[in-house]
Amino acid sequence: MARRPYDLPFAQDGSGRFLPWIIALMVYLAALASIAALATREAVSRWNAGLEGTATVEIAPALDSAGTDAAVAAAVALLRATPGVATVAVVPADEIARLLEPWLGPDAARSGLPLPRLIDLTFAPRARVDFAALGGTLVSAVPSARLDTHSQWLDRLQALGQSVQIAALAIVLLIAIAAGATVVFATRSGLAVHRELIELMHLIGSRDSYIAQQFQSHALSLALRGGALGVALGAGTVGALAVVSRPIQGALLPDLSLGASSIVALAALPLIAGAIALVTARITVLRALRKMP
Amino acid sequence: MVRFQGVAMRYANGPEVLRDVTFHLEAGSYHFLTGPSGAGKSSLLRLMYLSHCASRGTVKVFGHDIETTPRRLLPGLRRRIGVVFQDFRLLDHLSARDNVALSLRIAGIKEDVIRAHVAELLSWVGLGDRLDATPSTLSDGEKQRVAIARAVIGRPSLLIADEPTGSIDEIQGMRILRLFEELNRIGTTVVVATHDQRLIARFNHRVLRLQDGQFTVEGRGP
Repeated sequence: MARRPYDLPFAQDGSGRFLPWIIALMVYLAALASIAALATREAVSRWNAGLEGTATVEIAPALDSAGTDAAVAAAVALLRATPGVATVAVVPADEIARLLEPWLGPDAARSGLPLPRLIDLTFAPRARVDFAALGGTLVSAVPSARLDTHSQWLDRLQALGQSVQIAALAIVLLIAIAAGATVVFATRSGLAVHRELIELMHLIGSRDSYIAQQFQSHALSLALRGGALGVALGAGTVGALAVVSRPIQGALLPDLSLGASSIVALAALPLIAGAIALVTARITVLRALRKMP
Repeated sequence: MVRFQGVAMRYANGPEVLRDVTFHLEAGSYHFLTGPSGAGKSSLLRLMYLSHCASRGTVKVFGHDIETTPRRLLPGLRRRIGVVFQDFRLLDHLSARDNVALSLRIAGIKEDVIRAHVAELLSWVGLGDRLDATPSTLSDGEKQRVAIARAVIGRPSLLIADEPTGSIDEIQGMRILRLFEELNRIGTTVVVATHDQRLIARFNHRVLRLQDGQFTVEGRGP
């Protein structure tokens, strides 16, 4: 069955002509902001999971390697005897050299430079370890040792992640407000254009809600079309960025590929845009019609 | 049905176009409203079909004082009034079928009922083969009949027609007035505004005469 036309000739006026394009642009920006927030959240969560329940002991190099080895051995012995410590693993020298390679060059291990030694610790699940006491005990036994629980690093990462998410949320809210304002202007313009027909509909017994239904359906339709276009563009952009950034993705860069949560967020955007358009158009029309006889 | 008591009307801050109008239309009556151009016929009709409010006096329609009736009740009252506008006021983007159906859709009638009734009524007014025609493809006479169909499809208690024969030939004009008589016979109160005195003379109905914003009632009617 053919779709029944609107009672008001929306197709013949320009009041809503640009609405889908404006909504598409806004949804596109909202999609990028949402994906950025989700990717950051996932990255922070991954970093958290990777570092939680771990610590690193750094042994400053002694005057000779024998002194350093002795300090490492003393620290390992103390740590293995500490309750709650699950594993103690000395990081091999070539691994340390590889970690420092970006700063010291590929020959760091063979250059004779005194490099610090690292010991990776993991703690038993639900173990209650007093890190301050452990750090003090460690320094008493091995003065060149320093316990790093990554807490400072994790706190900063979480603060960064939260800042990015708050900024993204603020951007999405601003976009929603701008979308609402655009719908208000388009609807008011439509009300002015169709004023005579609205008066006629009133005269033949139309309630305000019936007329509002016409405007809100039209706004919903335009917003869904614009939203779908905006999401398609957003998904395309994120997909392209994921492909371009894949070679340098690793532990630091967030994963930009579209996961389940990203797809859900993207799919929700046109619906949210539609809901904003529908509600805004309805409220605008009802408020305007209350002033009519 | 309709009662005016000492009614005056003005547009914005302009002069009064109606002054001290008092009359009562009984249910089931048939009246012509006449007077020279500019006498205030259309203004009087606007008060009757609840498009405007009186600046003075009392207008009661279906027992409701329009001045004090809450706005939310007006749609229900307006649905009991069928109006045939002088300029038809059809929606150009809609077919004849959808123009007539509009009154019923607004009233929340189901689509299958609307389809059946609209087709039947348009056939009755001789437009059974023009259901899907848009107003731009209809003659003035056909537009007039679509406008009438829209006005009567909801079986209004009060039918108001503003110069319904003004833009059509005499034969078609007579057919339309006969149609109104049929509606009047089944209980619809009818008010027809016209300046055509020959037309009025052909029927034995009461005449409301407006002259310079003031009002007289002539004839006794059947």
